[in-house]
Amino acid sequence: MKPNELILIVEDDDAISKLLTISLFEYGYKTRYANTLTLAKREYISHNPMLIILDLGLPDGDGKKLIKEVRKESKTPIIVLSARREEKEIIAALDLGADDYVTKPFSASELLARVRSTLRRVHHDISPQRLTCKDLSIDFTTKEVMLNEALLKLTPTEYALLRYLMQNANKVLPHQQILKAVWGVGYQNEMQYLRTYINSLRKKIEKSSTRPEYITTESSIGYRFCQCEHEKGDE
Amino acid sequence: MFHRYNYILTALVVLGVITLISVVFQDYLELVNIALIHLIPIIFVALRGNFSATALIAFIAILLFNVLYVPPVYSFSVHDAIYLWSFAIFLLVGYIITAQAKKIQTNEIRDILLNTLSHDLKTPLSSILGSITLLLEDRKMSEETQNTLLQEIKNGSDRMNRLINNLLDNARLKDKHLELKMEWCDLEDILGVALQDFDEAQIQRSLRLHVDAKLELFWGDYNLLVRLFANLLDNAFKYSNQTKQISVTITQEQKGVIIAFFNESNPLKEHNLETIFDKFYRLENANDISGSGIGLFICQSIVAAHHGKIKAYNHENGVCFEITLPRLKQLSALQKEAE
Repeated sequence: MKPNELILIVEDDDAISKLLTISLFEYGYKTRYANTLTLAKREYISHNPMLIILDLGLPDGDGKKLIKEVRKESKTPIIVLSARREEKEIIAALDLGADDYVTKPFSASELLARVRSTLRRVHHDISPQRLTCKDLSIDFTTKEVMLNEALLKLTPTEYALLRYLMQNANKVLPHQQILKAVWGVGYQNEMQYLRTYINSLRKKIEKSSTRPEYITTESSIGYRFCQCEHEKGDE
Repeated sequence: MFHRYNYILTALVVLGVITLISVVFQDYLELVNIALIHLIPIIFVALRGNFSATALIAFIAILLFNVLYVPPVYSFSVHDAIYLWSFAIFLLVGYIITAQAKKIQTNEIRDILLNTLSHDLKTPLSSILGSITLLLEDRKMSEETQNTLLQEIKNGSDRMNRLINNLLDNARLKDKHLELKMEWCDLEDILGVALQDFDEAQIQRSLRLHVDAKLELFWGDYNLLVRLFANLLDNAFKYSNQTKQISVTITQEQKGVIIAFFNESNPLKEHNLETIFDKFYRLENANDISGSGIGLFICQSIVAAHHGKIKAYNHENGVCFEITLPRLKQLSALQKEAE
């Protein structure tokens, strides 16, 4: 982790931007701050931040506009901050290319973990042969999944789903995105498939389906697979 | 539920008595007087602020009045337009009084709401402020004390967060045009999401979960069901003290799902079991427990929106909240196969 790298905070609430600035500073990040969309665009162009933390409700417009503009030019990671009741907004932001989201009220430690893992994902965009997460490992060449050193029997769909989740470990994956990737474009709205297979996968890999360690639920948005080892950093 | 509409029955009885009196003294009373007497039950119902009930009673009163006293007697035909006017006036009087009564009621509810809310927000807020002040003033306290205070701040904030979410949901549920966002839900998953808002230590210590292995996907509004579970968990944690057990059981039935939240506590009184889901209802001895009573009221609204039933009953050494949710949509064979 390189110290003193610049993060752009786009947030119109002073208290929240102060909290973000302080917590990011503690971890050696420099921050710039913008409280309007106009200012944010200017800051983005002039400072080229390595990551953007973006509030969607800004006084002079919708934060999603900034996502569109940034995505035209670069892959600069964007983490969306949002009030809890905006699932549609969050999904729209993720579809536009935001990398992750954190809901208000958020804990600073959760946000920092998201910042770190988003940066890592961007910097280590490699496709490994094998991924390990806690007691679970998947080998993409042999298509074998091991849990506690025992071979796990998965159906082809369960395997495809687990593979997709693990390849995108520690990233929020909206329902439709998973359905598109695993089942195909025509299945985007077939929520029952996803719910059923997540449930059957959990039954096979989790100690408790209600309190999952590997596949956590992001309420109304989608799912997130826990941190995988090939990108183990300073969590 | 039925006792809420007792006043309609009372009005009908009053109307019967008035009709009887009018019939007996018909020869001594002018038609106008008879008409005016018939307004009494209408006014009585209108004061409750329920216009449908008022219209019903007005309609019955008009019917009786027409059949029994307006010539030609014992028929529905009306020869004199003046009586049509009196019918209209019956309704108008009912309507005006209803509207006024509603206004007064709304103001009363608003006052209660403001009082409970300010109380409920102030309680966790004072624990947050108190803890923070201590932390700021005394920099030499032990780490253990600091952690206790910080945990207190976190719990207080979580409580405020839950209350605010409840208020937002309440506003959403009040909307008569509310479109439920129905989708296939995994109730086990929903229970897990609801648990994310609670203190890990408390969950480990006292919570037991039993989920039916045969549980099928359920057709419902995901967010509202998360709120329903969170409120009932909150309730169970709040009313059973630290050492007591709580259990959540989800059972798949032929026609739907039964979800039971049980917590060890003193039994509730019979009349409390009925009124516990009313808005702003609090147990008499619950003054020391934060919560406006809005939580269970919202639970009831959410269950009703899913055409289900919710009831509370005393069970062995505690209280059980049982929800029955009917299956509103069949799973296709393909999904069954996947299960």
